[in-house]
Amino acid sequence: MEETIIPKTSTVLAALLKADFTTLWRNRRAVVLVFLVPIVILVSWKGLVEKMGGAFALSNSLTYGLIAIGLMGYTNSIARDRDKGIFQRLRVAPAPNWTIMMSRIFVQLSMIALVTTAIFVVGFDYDKITLTPAGYALTYLTAIVGGAVYLALGQVIVGLIKNPETVNSTSRLVYFTFVIVGMFGGMGMLGKQVEQMTQWSPYGTVKTIMAAGMIPGSWTMDTTNALLVTVGYTIVFAVIGIKNFKWNTK
Amino acid sequence: MDNNQSESILKVSDLCVQYGTFKAVKEVSFDVRKGEIFGLLGPNGAGKTSTLSAIEGLIKYQSGTVIVDGHNAKEKPLYARAAMGVQLQSTSFQSELKVSEILQLFAGIYGVKLTNEKLTAILKDISLEDAAGKRFGQLSGGQQQRVSLVISTIHNPRLVLLDEPTTGLDPQSRRQLWERIEAIRERGHAVVLTTHSMEEAESVCDRIGIIDHGKMITIDTPQALIEKHKNDPEVIAVSRKGRVTLEDVFIALTGKEVRA
Repeated sequence: MEETIIPKTSTVLAALLKADFTTLWRNRRAVVLVFLVPIVILVSWKGLVEKMGGAFALSNSLTYGLIAIGLMGYTNSIARDRDKGIFQRLRVAPAPNWTIMMSRIFVQLSMIALVTTAIFVVGFDYDKITLTPAGYALTYLTAIVGGAVYLALGQVIVGLIKNPETVNSTSRLVYFTFVIVGMFGGMGMLGKQVEQMTQWSPYGTVKTIMAAGMIPGSWTMDTTNALLVTVGYTIVFAVIGIKNFKWNTK
Repeated sequence: MDNNQSESILKVSDLCVQYGTFKAVKEVSFDVRKGEIFGLLGPNGAGKTSTLSAIEGLIKYQSGTVIVDGHNAKEKPLYARAAMGVQLQSTSFQSELKVSEILQLFAGIYGVKLTNEKLTAILKDISLEDAAGKRFGQLSGGQQQRVSLVISTIHNPRLVLLDEPTTGLDPQSRRQLWERIEAIRERGHAVVLTTHSMEEAESVCDRIGIIDHGKMITIDTPQALIEKHKNDPEVIAVSRKGRVTLEDVFIALTGKEVRA
């Protein structure tokens, strides 16, 4: 009997990453849309920067970017490729299932780093917002932690819904709910109760840890609690999303 | 059959697949030998794709064993998958990727080093040397099937599984694909294919297994099946051409009613 050779996991991951990054690059028009909303917010909130502080504007803007990546980018690409049978073709190859998803998630984490950088650049260039080196570094970390919540929430959507059109419309609906309730509720325009709910929602906790990450000296016990709640949301969403996820739509 | 062909590359024993309470595959057993093309025939919903999916590792089977090139598919799934090449019924690749990029992706996944020369040679072999820069979706049905088939054999697997590979192809493309499948056999690989075409089964397959309602009804060579059943009253009753064909035997064994 001839020896069966199993490819190295690193070789498999490298091939998947190359293909997934190429796909992302060819979809750059869709990528631009992910950048658009947070940058528009940053630019249009110029007047608020002096009043509320640079960290407030950056953290809000970044939160919308993270929501867009998790809910629109990740969710829709998974739903579309699952419907087309792309995952099934990969799964009959000697690639462990986790490598297929890890490659997708890594691409999204790179997007998070890109969006964060773009927001820093626009914030500096247009609103003259600067952070300390520690602030920049910590914000990249908190953006990854915050982005994980929305990727996990996106996983819940593709886990519970099979039809790609329904996934698309649901993710848009959830996205706009987050944007509207987060923006107006977070500012207290929808009443005290909604403001408090927003503060401890996935939107609010992510915004809190990112704002504190930008000014590390302002990190308080409330920020630590927000971080713990964020991690908690991620775990709960990921468990629900992964447990219910089906690799095909049939 | 010579010694070369007696080595079993795929051995399926008492395979059972269940979806909820529905038993899709019931104690199906068969083996496929080196240098053999084995056809799996059956009406719609008979259990062909479920059987293939269980072998491929896409669905969990309730009981039975699947041994691919000596590897138990349940205990060593990665080894079993590395030993087989698969063409699914409806294969799709990322529409943003070009043909050359798709080949490179799967070469990487199977751990095959694909140099530019090798890539060009592969594309030339399937008469697609000018299509390297095209997206998969821009290819014709026949071209897509050729790319799909070459990907399933890119790692030189001992077993190739083809789920309805010629569906939707014109006669020329279908004939060309048959030749390619026969070439796989000539290289000493074992091939399992599912098909609804009796002409295809008769022309290409060395042995066929007819599956219906999840059960394997019979396994034999196409000619032996015709010989065995040609005098059955049910077969004669459905015969249309004055001589008994494989299709007549198939219809007599699986019934005339149309399946969903």
